[in-house]
Amino acid sequence: MASPERNRTDRLFPGARGVGYAVVLVVCLLTVIPLAYMISLSLQSDGEILAGNPVLWPAHLHFDNYQRLFGEVPYARFFVNSTVMAGTITIAHLILDPLAGYAFAKFSFPFKRTLFIAVLATLMVPFFVRMIPVYVLFSQLGWLNTYQGLVVPFLCDAYGIFLMRQFLAALPDELIDAGRADGAGELRIFARIILPQAKPALAVLALFTFVFQWNNFLWPLLATSTTDMRTMPVGLTMFNQEYFTQWNLTAAGAVVLFVPTAVLFFFTQRYLVRGVALTGLK
Amino acid sequence: MVATVERAAAVAPVRRRAPMRRRQARTALAFLAPALLFFALLFFYPLLRELYTSVFTGPRADVYAGLGNYTKAFDDPVARHAFWVTVQYGLGVVVGAIVLGLVLAVILNQRMRGRSVFRGILLVPYLTSIAIVGLLWRNILDPDTGILNRVLHSVGLPTQNLLAEHPLATLVAVAIWQQVGYTTVLFLAGLQGIPELYYEAAEVDGASVWRRFRHVTLPLLAPTTLFVSVIGVISAMQEFALPYLVTQGGPDNASDLYVYQVWKTAFGFRDFGYASALSYLLLIVILVLSLVQLKVGQRGES
Repeated sequence: MASPERNRTDRLFPGARGVGYAVVLVVCLLTVIPLAYMISLSLQSDGEILAGNPVLWPAHLHFDNYQRLFGEVPYARFFVNSTVMAGTITIAHLILDPLAGYAFAKFSFPFKRTLFIAVLATLMVPFFVRMIPVYVLFSQLGWLNTYQGLVVPFLCDAYGIFLMRQFLAALPDELIDAGRADGAGELRIFARIILPQAKPALAVLALFTFVFQWNNFLWPLLATSTTDMRTMPVGLTMFNQEYFTQWNLTAAGAVVLFVPTAVLFFFTQRYLVRGVALTGLK
Repeated sequence: MVATVERAAAVAPVRRRAPMRRRQARTALAFLAPALLFFALLFFYPLLRELYTSVFTGPRADVYAGLGNYTKAFDDPVARHAFWVTVQYGLGVVVGAIVLGLVLAVILNQRMRGRSVFRGILLVPYLTSIAIVGLLWRNILDPDTGILNRVLHSVGLPTQNLLAEHPLATLVAVAIWQQVGYTTVLFLAGLQGIPELYYEAAEVDGASVWRRFRHVTLPLLAPTTLFVSVIGVISAMQEFALPYLVTQGGPDNASDLYVYQVWKTAFGFRDFGYASALSYLLLIVILVLSLVQLKVGQRGES
């Protein structure tokens, strides 16, 4: 595929290649510097974050800000809440999305087309439309400030089902027939034969679901009001008072929220890039 | 007699297949049941309930108002203002992200050292929580405590107060900062789908690099561009966290994005009926945009 013609811009004008490099480099620096500054901010003293005296890098590295973060607010609890929320939702997706996707990919049943369109139609229903009625419903159920309240609105989605259907439709029917000939039950065929084949698609699905729910801001803000049920993205705003913001602790909290996704990204970049590209190829 | 046996033998497998098909249908519906139950209870029911609530008024949304909330929305200067601000915001984010994303994708589509590292770096903000993005930029841009003014000052540039002077444009810039990596990756995928053959043909015809870009790359990227712009506008029009975290919609409602206004109407002013009507109106706009994309996208395919 790769051919020498790939270096086309060279003939755009002399030095086009160098300019291209420079543009990418500048944009990357503009991307990295604010995030690096967040780390710097998280290590600054209370004096350094005061008005009128911002510094690029602290005179002393105040790692104790991280101790304060876990001491002055229940940030460890927020961490647990975020993990429970993102983790539970991811597991639910890993079960429900392939189950439904498999049914659409490999079975024939009445109203299949209608049901598939109904599922796809939910892609057009933005969260802000569900926000008010689900909030009202959950407050009637007494589900605000509970884990089920945080988790239930996101248990599966049409995007995941669509992704799994596309992937599983490409698997040969013989796999399933062989399982049936061996006398395996349908659930067993799904769990033992289909799911293992779907690992690459499941990895993309799990990564995206986890990262998006880990970062989710709007719903935890709405569905929780007690301190002990806040998640990290919402907990970050607690240092944010009307006249004064404890910016160093906010930044420390942001780093704790950021690092797991950054690590995950570092190890799974190829999957994530492929997944992002997939969202555009529908 | 023989014929009957033969016929029976021919029919038998069909007979056996019929219950099997029913069994298949039962299995499929059992596998689908959790997802369908979920969509019914957490998508379609809320959608209907929101529509129902939108014809009521009062703090408990129990006074019937007919279409009152909808007519009110069209006359309400606050809601109209929020809508136009949101349209400007959406267009700003999409145009900015597309232009910058396309430039970056074209550059990164060449063989160059560190290509995948650059692409990875560009994607990081997209995977960073909007809570971090919003708070971080609010800190950096703060006229008193922010680092930007310190940096500007040290290189002899005048100080800025962007969040007070150009709140909407600043939020647009922050959103582009977060999203440009996503747009770049989508364009990169689109570029890689263009067969090398087309470029070779254009080159044989003596087309310049710029002409090749205009007449080969751009038209063949049209489906990607359409997808990126419609999806981009739709998601930008739902932005809530940036005004909530960075500007509180201010100053003077200059960055009062629509969903933030819906949020205030529902959970600040406790007017659930009006907030539901406002939600439905934006939903209609978004549905129209989605359908346009579907129609145009289908025409592009055939």
